[in-house]
Amino acid sequence: MSTDMSSASETDTLTSDAKRLSIRKMNKHYGDFHAVKDLDIEVEPGEFLVLLGPSGCGKSTALRMIAGLEEITSGEVIMGERDVTHVLPKYRDIAMVFQSYALYPHKTVAENIGFPLKVTGVPLEQRNQAVLDAAAQVQMETLLERYPRELSGGQRQRVALARAIIRRPSAFLMDEPLSNLDAKLRGFMRAELKHMQHELGVTTIYVTHDQIEAMTLAHRVAIMKDGELQQLGTPAEVYTNPTNLFVAGFMGSPPMNFIEGTLSQGSIQVGNDKIFLQGAQEGTAVTMGFRPEDADVVEAGEGRFDAMVYTAEMTGDLTLVTVKHGQSILTIKMPKDFVVDYDQKVGIQFDSGLSYLFSTSDGSRLKAIVVDS
Amino acid sequence: MSNVSKVPRRSLFDRLFEPPRIGAMAPGAKIIVYTLLLAWSAFVLFPIYWLLITSVKTAADVNAGPFFIPFVDFTPSLHAWRELFIVDYADTLRAYVNSLIISLAATALAVLVGSMAAYALARIRYQPNLITILIFILTMTAALFAVFSYGVDWRIVLVVGVGIFYFFSKAVASRVKVPLANGDILFWMISQRILAPIVVVVPIYMMFQSVRMLDTHLAIILTYAVVNLPIVIWLMYDFFNSIPKDLEESAQLDGATMIMTFREVVLPLSRAGLAATTLLVMILCWNEYLLALFLSTAKAQTMPILVAAMNAGERGILWWSMSVVIIVMIIPVVFMAIVLQRYISKGVLLGAVKG
Ligand SMILES: Nc1ncnc2c1ncn2[C@@H]1O[C@H](COP(=O)(O)OP(=O)(O)O)[C@@H](O)[C@H]1O
Ligand SMILES: [Mg+2]
Repeated sequence: MSTDMSSASETDTLTSDAKRLSIRKMNKHYGDFHAVKDLDIEVEPGEFLVLLGPSGCGKSTALRMIAGLEEITSGEVIMGERDVTHVLPKYRDIAMVFQSYALYPHKTVAENIGFPLKVTGVPLEQRNQAVLDAAAQVQMETLLERYPRELSGGQRQRVALARAIIRRPSAFLMDEPLSNLDAKLRGFMRAELKHMQHELGVTTIYVTHDQIEAMTLAHRVAIMKDGELQQLGTPAEVYTNPTNLFVAGFMGSPPMNFIEGTLSQGSIQVGNDKIFLQGAQEGTAVTMGFRPEDADVVEAGEGRFDAMVYTAEMTGDLTLVTVKHGQSILTIKMPKDFVVDYDQKVGIQFDSGLSYLFSTSDGSRLKAIVVDS
Repeated sequence: MSNVSKVPRRSLFDRLFEPPRIGAMAPGAKIIVYTLLLAWSAFVLFPIYWLLITSVKTAADVNAGPFFIPFVDFTPSLHAWRELFIVDYADTLRAYVNSLIISLAATALAVLVGSMAAYALARIRYQPNLITILIFILTMTAALFAVFSYGVDWRIVLVVGVGIFYFFSKAVASRVKVPLANGDILFWMISQRILAPIVVVVPIYMMFQSVRMLDTHLAIILTYAVVNLPIVIWLMYDFFNSIPKDLEESAQLDGATMIMTFREVVLPLSRAGLAATTLLVMILCWNEYLLALFLSTAKAQTMPILVAAMNAGERGILWWSMSVVIIVMIIPVVFMAIVLQRYISKGVLLGAVKG
C-alpha cells in the first residue's frame, strides 16, 4: 500500500516536471533536396506525440534534428524555456530509442542500462540501484549479466527502454522502436510502452510508418508527407476529419475507399448510377471517399451504385467484402456471418454524412457534401 | 511398395564422390582435399625445416649437401649459433634490439595516428576546396624556396606567406570551388602507398642527411610510420565504418563526451581491427629492407640488413649464419601473431552481432 502511495506521488512530480517541446519552422536541406519543410509542432508537457508518415517522408530526419544528431538548416527547437537549436546532443537531456536498439554488444545488460549514469559520473552504488530499478520496470532484472547477443528481439527492446528511462530525461525520442519485432510481440510491447509513458509522464515523440501504432499510442498524431506536415490532431480527429486526400487514405485499415469522377449537372457518374453532390463547382474533378465500416453491401439496385463482388474475406470478427467497380477496388466491412458469391452483382450503400469529398487535382478537402437525390 | 522410396543402387565410384549424409563431405573429396592440404603444408613448412637444419650444419656439410636428416646424413654442430651469440654477440644483439625498438615504435606511432585519422574520416564530413589546397601548396613551396635557396629571413617569409595565402584564398578560392569529399582524401592517402618506396628513397635520404639524422632510430621510425600510415588509415577506415553509427549517437545522447564515446564504445569494438592492423604493420616494419639500407649504416642497423650482410663477406654466402639470424627473426613475429590472434577471432564474433 505504501509503495502504491509513493509511486503515485512520484508520477505526479514527474508529470509536473515534464517539459514542453517546441519545434518552430524547422527545415532540413541535403544539398538541393528539401527533406523537412517548415515543420511546426508544439509538443505539450507529458504528451505522447506520434510522427506518422510513409517511408522516406523525413520523419527520422526531423527526429534526429530534435535530438541534435543532425544539423538544423533553419528553424528552432525549444525545450521548456531553453533554446537548444544549436546545443550538442549530450546537453539536451533527451533519451532516444533507436530502431536497431543500439545496444553496446560488448557490454552486459546491466552495463548497457547503466551507461547513461556511468558517463555522467554517478557513483557506482547509486548507479547499481538505479539499474535494478530500471530493469525491474521492464522485467529484465533476471537477465542483467547477459550480453545483447544472448537476448531475443523483445528483450533487447526492453533493455533499450530501460537505458532510456534510467536517467529520467526531459524527453523521449523513439524512431520506429517496435518495427523489428514480430506482430504479436509488437502489439504487446505497444501496450507496455504506452503504459510506461503514462506512468513516467515524460514528453515523448515517437516516429512510425504504421498508422495502427500511431492511432493506439498517440495523444496526438502529426502526419507527414514529403517532408511536410499534413495534419496534426488527436487520433480521432485525423481519422474522422482528415484535412486532405493523403491523410484520409493513410489512416485506417483497410484504408478509405475512393471513387473519382467529374461533377456535371450536380452529380458524378458511377457506372450506370449517379451520385449527387452539393457545394462543388460544375466541372471539378472530385474524389469521393467513404470508410469500409461506414458502407453496406445491399441488394443490387438498392444502393447508391452497383458493383461486382471480387472476393470476401472472413477475418474472425468481421467479413471484408471487396468489390470491383470500373478501375476502383472498394472494401466494405460486413458482419462476420455475411455471405456473398464471387462475381455477384451487389449494391453499395453509404450514409451521405459519413462520406468525404476531395479535389482530385490537389487533394484538398472540399466543403461539398453528398446528397440523397 | 519398397521400390518407391529406395535410392537407386550406385556404383562404388559414385559413392566415393557423393556425400554420405547432408552436410558431410564425400570420401573422395576428403581424400583429395587432405592430400592437397598436406602437400601445401609440406611446401610451406619445408623452408623452415631447411633453415633449422642449415643453422646446425658446418660449411663442409652445406657445400657437400644436400643433406636432409641430422645425425643420419650429417653431424649437427652449433658453430654458427656460437659465432653469432658468443663471438659476434654485440652485433647480433644490437641489430635485434634496433629492429625491436624501430618496429614497435613505428607501429605504435602509425597505428595511433592512422586510426585517429581513419576515425575522423569515417565520422566527420570534410569538404575541402581543391583550389585552397593548391594555393596552400604553391605558397608553401614558394616560401620554402625563399628561405632555403635565397636565404630570406623565415619570419618575413612566414608573415608574407600567410598574407598571400589569406588574400588568394579569399579572392580566388571563395569564387572557384572544386569541392572534395572524404573519399577523395582517403584516395589521396592510399595513393601515397601506391607509390613504390624506391621512388622516394633518395629524397628521404637527402632530407635526413641535411638534418644530420642518418643512422638514427628516430629517422627510421618516422619513415616507417609515415610509409605505413596509408595502410593503417585504409584498414581502420573500413573497420570504423562497419561499426553502426547508432551506437555512438546513442552514447552521445546519453551524455558521453567524444573521448568517452571513443574509449567506451568505439575502441572495444575495434579491438579486432586494431590487432590485425598492428600485426600487419609490425610485420612490414620488421621485414623492411630498402629504406633501412639507405637510412642506417652501423648504429641503427636492423635485422634484415644483418641477414643481407651474411651474403657480403669475403668467405661467400654464410648460409649457416644466415639461417640462425632468420630463425631468431621469425620468433617475435610468431609470438605477436599468437598474442594478437586471440583478439582477432574474438573480435570477429563480436562484430557478427549487430545492435
Ligand atoms: N544524409 C542524407 N543525405 C541525403 N539525403 C538524405 C540523407 N538522409 C536522409 N536523406 C533523405 O531524406 C529523406 C527523408 O529521410 P528519412 O528522414 O530517413 O525518412 P523516414 O524516416 O521518414 O523514412 C529521404 O528521401 C532520404 O533519402
Ligand atoms: Mg526512418
